[in-house]
Amino acid sequence: MSISRRKFLGWLAAAGGGAVLGKSADAASNKHFTGYPGSKGVLYDSVLCIGCRNCETGCNKVNDLPAPDKPFDDLTVMDTHRRTDDKTYTVVNKYQNPNYPKSPLYRKIQCNHCLEPACASACFVRAFTKTPVGAVTYNASVCVGCRYCMIACPFEIPAYEYDSAFSPRIMKCTMCYPRISKGQLPGCVEACPTEALSFGKRDQLLKLARERIRKYPGRYVEHIYGEREMGGTSWLYLSAVPFKEIGMREDLGVTPAPELTAGVLNAVPMVVGIWPVLLTGIYAINKRNQKVADAESEAAVTVALDQAKLEAETKLSEALAKAEKEKAEAIEQEVKKALEEAAKAQEADDSDEGEEGTGETKTEEDA
Amino acid sequence: MIHKRTLRRWFAIITLASLFLINSVAVYAVTAPKGGKAAGRADIITIDTMKSFGNLQRPAVVFYHEKHSAAVEKKSKDCTVCHLSENDGLSLKYMRQKDEAPEAVMNIYHSNCIACHKETAAAGDKSGPVECGECHKEKIELSSTWKSMGFDHSLHYRHSKAQEEKCDVCHHAYNKTTKKLFYDKGKEGTCRYCHKEKTEENRIAGQFAAHMACIDCHRKTQAQNKTAGPVTCSGCHDPAEQELIEKVDRVPRMKRNQPDVVLLTAVGKAQKNPNLIRMNPVPFDHRAHEKYGNSCRACHHADLNACVSCHSLTGSKESENVKLEQAMHQLGAESSCMGCHSQAQTDTRCAGCHSSVPKNRMQNPNDCGTCHVPGPAGGTAGSGKSDDTVIAAALLKSRTPVADTYAEEDIPEKVVIKSLAYEYEPVELPHRKIIYTLLNNIKDNKLASYFHRENGTICQGCHHNSPTAKKPPSCSSCHGIPFDENNILRPGLKGAYHRQCMECHDAMGIEKPVATDCTGCHRKKV
Repeated sequence: MSISRRKFLGWLAAAGGGAVLGKSADAASNKHFTGYPGSKGVLYDSVLCIGCRNCETGCNKVNDLPAPDKPFDDLTVMDTHRRTDDKTYTVVNKYQNPNYPKSPLYRKIQCNHCLEPACASACFVRAFTKTPVGAVTYNASVCVGCRYCMIACPFEIPAYEYDSAFSPRIMKCTMCYPRISKGQLPGCVEACPTEALSFGKRDQLLKLARERIRKYPGRYVEHIYGEREMGGTSWLYLSAVPFKEIGMREDLGVTPAPELTAGVLNAVPMVVGIWPVLLTGIYAINKRNQKVADAESEAAVTVALDQAKLEAETKLSEALAKAEKEKAEAIEQEVKKALEEAAKAQEADDSDEGEEGTGETKTEEDA
Repeated sequence: MIHKRTLRRWFAIITLASLFLINSVAVYAVTAPKGGKAAGRADIITIDTMKSFGNLQRPAVVFYHEKHSAAVEKKSKDCTVCHLSENDGLSLKYMRQKDEAPEAVMNIYHSNCIACHKETAAAGDKSGPVECGECHKEKIELSSTWKSMGFDHSLHYRHSKAQEEKCDVCHHAYNKTTKKLFYDKGKEGTCRYCHKEKTEENRIAGQFAAHMACIDCHRKTQAQNKTAGPVTCSGCHDPAEQELIEKVDRVPRMKRNQPDVVLLTAVGKAQKNPNLIRMNPVPFDHRAHEKYGNSCRACHHADLNACVSCHSLTGSKESENVKLEQAMHQLGAESSCMGCHSQAQTDTRCAGCHSSVPKNRMQNPNDCGTCHVPGPAGGTAGSGKSDDTVIAAALLKSRTPVADTYAEEDIPEKVVIKSLAYEYEPVELPHRKIIYTLLNNIKDNKLASYFHRENGTICQGCHHNSPTAKKPPSCSSCHGIPFDENNILRPGLKGAYHRQCMECHDAMGIEKPVATDCTGCHRKKV
């Protein structure tokens, strides 16, 4: 069905109006969550880290993870950069120090337990929970295995048990949630010999980090990674060199991941709720108007046709009558003419024949 | 007549192909910049003379001086090819003595440079660019390895010996009234005291003064077939070449009537009232300090007079409001006493303890007496009533810069650390060996020895944050459970042990035991 320009613009305006209405119906998407008060975190100081991999050992032991291919005291494993996988919640990578090539730098990778986690936001079955104590925990029983969380995580942490056929899980650091709920330390923190990992309340850790920077100027880059990145994380980092030299992304910005998608997601109820109803309604009304208009025009056509027919017949009969009349008149004229001629001829005959007396006389009666 | 379908197909193919090519070029163009590690020159001159006339219309020209001086030499010509003579020597500008109109200057460069390049190319040799964009390049490919050059004691001694101690060959002063240079005997100093970064009126910039004086003399000496210093850029300014400069072992003391000992008080040219003196005077061994630091400039940064000639107690215009206190004590300032002393602490023999000491900390006021010693009774120091030099000499003599610690029997030979022995056996710390090693590092250094003359000072490296004592507190007296909210800065016991040992080993460059080798310090429990 072809639509007029006016109608099309009208539809657009209606849809837009619906969109404006829908915008006010969003939840807490534009407000910034600064973490549950008193939530815990971990400060990782890359300057104090000696790259001994005790944290990996501790994590493996505490979480009953399978034994690794190469033992944890094999430090040559760090010659390649690794990532967390389905058997490893945390890894330590080695990086070259641009200022002191002989003293490499280390960096421990694990879930950062963001204040507003992207994984929790992406999961539509609520398998992830940001707990008040700070840990982001995972519930395998509701997980459907869509792995949207793996795509959503800006730090690429969640790993999937592809090898498990019947009950694959997402594997990631839990901040040893059961242990810290009991007042114990996370496995990696407890294992670290130099206390490169410090556990405590997040705001206290920020204070500690700032004090370290103040006490040893020039030793640290003056930035606490995780203070505001992706809206803030519970795992904070200190480094002696710019963070991208130790393999950390510096391009993440300070907007939490849920806030990035809140705009689009908040449009969904509006799209699903208002648009169908509104636009269907407009369509229905238009259609009805069209129908009525069609019916009316048809009726008008019929009436017009009848009228025309009537007129035509009247005209026809009039014309016929007229024709008849003219014909009669014409005959009369002819008759009159003939009579006149006959009369004329008679007269002529009369005058001619005076002597003769008989002739054919044409009388009208005869004719 | 081309089919519409065919046309469409080709259009699609061409669009896709061009998109692909554009993107691949974009990717290709964004390569990491060349490190320039191997490629670096010390002779890079950026010709931006036109900047003095306004904004540059084209990028500044990157000029490799040595390339050109080598080419000139190959043609058996000398510097006069480009440098016109001026006064006694050569002008440092190119083909001119001074900059006049912008058009004229530009034409001097263009006509002379391009003409020579064309000539050289015509002769068949490798030549320079003649096109605009070849000289006025946007991107600079090579990085500069230029390093500043200066005299140290050894180099100055070699020069003064070569001139047979005729100081007036290089040293001059300027008389403002007669507007003439003259030799001011007894007031010789470094060129940098007058010749600064930029030319001021007729006082030329240090760079020009140095090049005019040094290179000219070297050139003339070389012309006489005598050994002379370098005339090329890299000869002085290339870091590798600087390493090759011959160093005299025992440089005899420079004869410039400098004092042997000085009594430092707050009285001087900038502040003459002795009643304003509050702190005890500081006896200063000037003669010993002459050896520390590369040259006199290490301390005498503005002139060869006493600090108090500019730095008054409350700050003055000459000292740019740097008060005497800052001049003497400012950490991080090279010329201040404490600044230089704290630099000495970064030596690997000292850094084990001293790298853990927080910077920016307030000094303990009780430590002022280390340097500020009471003068003779009556407080005549600095008043002019008695000979300060004699007082200073006496005070210095009474000082004993000998590092010391407690008697051997009071220092435990081994300390067994039994706490936290869960996975590993207790640690047997070679306690006495560590202390004696540190003492060994200290005893040859007068500064270190003086500051470590009290018995308990050396123990403070590990037994920190507590008073000095023969039996200092153990680590577990303060360090316990980690992450204590009341003491967030204090590590727990395990962290304290490991950090204390490992950080010291790291700072001192001790390779064994390796920090990651746990069994290097404690055996594994079976």
